[in-house]
Amino acid sequence: MEGKAKKITTYLPAAIGAAMVCCGLYFDFYNRDFWGRGPLLAGGLLLLVISLYLVPGKKHRVIVNGLFLLPLIGAFFITVLIPFIFGIFYSFTDWNGIKFTQFVGLKNYGQMFHAPDYLYSLLITFLFTVFNMVSVNIAAFFLAILCTSGVKGRNFYRASFFLPNLIGGIVLGYVWQFIFNKVFTSLVAGSVSMLTSPNLAFFAILIVSTWQYAGYIMMIYVTGLQGVPRDILEASAVDGAGALKTLLHIKLPMIANTFTVCIFLTLVNSFKQFDLNYAITNGAPSRILGAKAVASTEFLALNIYNTAIARNRYAEGQTKAVVFFLILAAVSLTQVSISKKREVEL
Amino acid sequence: MKKHLWVMAMAGAAAVLSLAGCGTSAQSGGTAASSAGSQSADSKAESQSQAKSGGQAIRIVNGKIEIDEPLKAFAKKYQEKTGQEVVIESLGGGVDINGTMKGYLAAGNMPDLFVFGGEGDYQTWKDYMTDLSGEEWASQTEFGFKSEDGKTVGFPYAVEGYGITYNKDVLKAAGIDPASLTTYDGFKKAFEAIDQKKGELGLSAVCSVAAESGQMYWSTGNHLFGYYLSGGLKRGDTTYIDQLKSGKTDTERLGQFADFMKLLFDYSDKNTLISGTYDDQLALWAQGKTAFITQGNWIDPSLPDYSVKFECGIAPLAFTKEEMKGVLADCPSWWAVYNKGTNIDACKAFLKELALTEEGQECLVTDCGMISPYTTCKVSPKTPLAMSLKTYVDAGNTYSWQWTKMPEGISMNATGKVFELYAKGEIDKDGFVNMMQTAIADYVKK
Repeated sequence: MEGKAKKITTYLPAAIGAAMVCCGLYFDFYNRDFWGRGPLLAGGLLLLVISLYLVPGKKHRVIVNGLFLLPLIGAFFITVLIPFIFGIFYSFTDWNGIKFTQFVGLKNYGQMFHAPDYLYSLLITFLFTVFNMVSVNIAAFFLAILCTSGVKGRNFYRASFFLPNLIGGIVLGYVWQFIFNKVFTSLVAGSVSMLTSPNLAFFAILIVSTWQYAGYIMMIYVTGLQGVPRDILEASAVDGAGALKTLLHIKLPMIANTFTVCIFLTLVNSFKQFDLNYAITNGAPSRILGAKAVASTEFLALNIYNTAIARNRYAEGQTKAVVFFLILAAVSLTQVSISKKREVEL
Repeated sequence: MKKHLWVMAMAGAAAVLSLAGCGTSAQSGGTAASSAGSQSADSKAESQSQAKSGGQAIRIVNGKIEIDEPLKAFAKKYQEKTGQEVVIESLGGGVDINGTMKGYLAAGNMPDLFVFGGEGDYQTWKDYMTDLSGEEWASQTEFGFKSEDGKTVGFPYAVEGYGITYNKDVLKAAGIDPASLTTYDGFKKAFEAIDQKKGELGLSAVCSVAAESGQMYWSTGNHLFGYYLSGGLKRGDTTYIDQLKSGKTDTERLGQFADFMKLLFDYSDKNTLISGTYDDQLALWAQGKTAFITQGNWIDPSLPDYSVKFECGIAPLAFTKEEMKGVLADCPSWWAVYNKGTNIDACKAFLKELALTEEGQECLVTDCGMISPYTTCKVSPKTPLAMSLKTYVDAGNTYSWQWTKMPEGISMNATGKVFELYAKGEIDKDGFVNMMQTAIADYVKK
């Protein structure tokens, strides 16, 4: 008898809750004007949770923990995971940003690799990533050595090197565009802007990107260098190691994990470069490639943006974004695993 | 057990609050998305704005941020007069209007009146537009946007026109009659004459043109190229745009156009031509350093910023050997009435008021500094380029903006680049024609 009552108290709320959730969802989809859809949905979910709690078992702690995590997980789902899954879904359709009429299978994917502009963007993005990764890390590392060397006013240097990173990329981009177009051309009379030549424009973006990002990476290196134990440094000094030897044989191996982090960050960041690219050149200048004109500095992110927004081909843009994600994930995972192995060796 | 229940009740309450929070904000605010649970299917759901069900205010999404204030002032007057509240929401200044609107639609927050910019946008939004053919104003303008089956769906609120805008004082000093600028030869003579007197006229170059492809593609790829598409043709003549849509171009006409572009680029300020922005281009001309600029009457509001004292006017971009007497003038964008809105009649009444009453015309013409597309409009513009453009419109010497029907993004992703290469001298006339043809054919094919 008691068992039966317990069963009812367990399953009744569950059933009511499920019904309420279904009604709430129904109203959400088909009858948006109904004011009660929100409370219905939320009340139903609450009832479901209560019934779950009333089920005999030892998992109550887990449920409570889960409830406290719910707001965060919910936000993560709504803003990251659900759009991501929908993005993959849309890449198989002819979605135009409002609706889709049919599934096109892998057509978007096939088409993309036949588009010269996309392949060019892919190539130039890889190039930029390599160049930028090297230049940012070298610059940042030397700045970090400078800032930990005991030179006068190093805190001032540290702050000022970091400062460019605090300004938004779009603003920086336009400021630098002005510098390239106006300041440099008036300093060297009769010269034309760097941004008018395809190759130089690429390096112009590289310069600004390094200038902006090196300060940030420097901070990480500074932290790493400061974490090198004093006793080891003292021991090496006693053994007669010079500054260069200490750097190469003590400091570098000790901060190997910092390198992993920094290279990872710069890799991902260079690959995703958008705001500077958009503000400084927006793809210009044009380059002649086999009797066709292509945008010489249109990196992948900008190419995706232009496909979706300027050409109003949302499905194609979405497809490119999915591939972008896959490439980025593959490249960065490879990099991390290789660096980790090296860390152990060192 | 007791303690656990308490903890759980609190956690549950927190969860409910967070969910309910989403729900209520959608209902009262009208700007946020809908409640969390319905996120997924919103895009397909037949949606009605929550905001509308409350009051009966009509909401307009306006795509010209410049006219935000005058419109709001007019809306306020309109409310005093009729009791109908009108909310103006202006987008612009680099905002992706189409993207924003798609977001509104997905969130069930569509405005009653929304802006759209031509053929491409029409294809995107045509399922959401109301037929406005029966309205009184529709018969009093030739600028309304017509659907494929001839119904008026777009409300025109302004006419804009462009060509080569000239500095009348410089032309007078160089002894050139603006009326002679109607053929390729006319321009050639004028450019040569001005170029010789550059020093004494205080000019640094004859023309101010910007052809950099990253930021000025709209000026070259849309506006200048627009003359190839419809310059000299009757309104509604779609010969060249139809050709372009099927990936073809007319080599003869494109060749003439290329010749004229060469002439224009040769007499332009070099740095501005290959690396200048719109501001650079405008500043050069407005400070009196060049005689011509390839922009239209939308630079009127900027003239006071440079305290322009000289007289100016618009001449056709006459690239042909034959005379071309008119300029390209059309509506840059239209307003459509959202067909699933609740206040369609109130919207129609508002549009009628704006188009046909004197207050409405006053607002559009005097306050916004635009040209009214309506034949019954009695208010005349006061700004110099609008006045110049008005003479073309009144004389019927205008060509339509067929370039708005080009495939979306073509100027940015294809044709603008060819213009840049031509301006930099990396390709010659034949190179320009050939490359333009392949660029268009490739773009259309994709």
